Amino acid sequence: MGFLISFSFFFLAIIINQSTVVGQTTAESVIEFPKNDIRDITGVITYNTTLSNDPVVNTDISVISLNRKNAIVKYSVTLPLSNETHSQAFIHYNNGVTEYNETWTSL
Amino acid sequence: MDPRGGNPLRKDNPCAGRANSDGQLYTIEGIAAGLIMIMTAYLVVNATSVYTAGDTHISDMQLEQLGSDVLKIMDTPENVTVNSELQMILGGATVDGARFKSRFLALSNNRTQLNRDHIQFDASYTCRKQDNSTVTIPLSSSRNLTGGEHAVRVTKWVIVDKAFCDLPATKPRAVLVEVLMWRD
Repeated sequence: MGFLISFSFFFLAIIINQSTVVGQTTAESVIEFPKNDIRDITGVITYNTTLSNDPVVNTDISVISLNRKNAIVKYSVTLPLSNETHSQAFIHYNNGVTEYNETWTSL
Repeated sequence: MDPRGGNPLRKDNPCAGRANSDGQLYTIEGIAAGLIMIMTAYLVVNATSVYTAGDTHISDMQLEQLGSDVLKIMDTPENVTVNSELQMILGGATVDGARFKSRFLALSNNRTQLNRDHIQFDASYTCRKQDNSTVTIPLSSSRNLTGGEHAVRVTKWVIVDKAFCDLPATKPRAVLVEVLMWRD
């Protein structure tokens, strides 16, 4: 009986030992989710829509996103017409794992 | 084990008819052999996968958040009529790497204690050329990269009212500031 109890403890020790190792850590998942990338993209587009509406800036953001961050970023900005006060932005982000779409309207 | 044990079925056995523990050894041997086989199978299957300790990447996560916050601070203007610090650093006649270095180190190494943290960085910025390729230009660094650093990358988009790369008369332009940061 002592033999069986010893082996049981041995197995319990192995289970406790294995409980601390994982295939993917929680913090790793947090790092892989592009929270800061998305906040950065939406931030730069919506901070000044007159600037981000510029076609050269738009191409800059799309091309550099693809080359340096492996992410497809497409956006379009609608500036307010003469009788309106709101600008709108349609932002699309996709890095192959995470896809994010936002329709943003200014205050 | 009963020292007086023996074959209980034999008539001349003084313990005939009573249970004894002769078989226990064989039972234990069988269980041990089974456990060893299960252990072996477990080790073989386990050998193909690489596991990491569950708390491995927490410091990376914190470092990335710290770097993002520092760049966010540096790209926030004091009011709507002036440029942010990053815009001033990149938008001047020459890109001011020294200013970026002192500001970034000061913000990222701040601690509540007197001594500073040991965060180092290597920063660059990327602009787009006319043919839609990109050029990455060093901005500044506090250490040379040796390849052995365990670095995380943080980035910040900056729209600067200045011509970059080979589009001389076109502005504003969007550039991507990339910072590798690590503790030494």
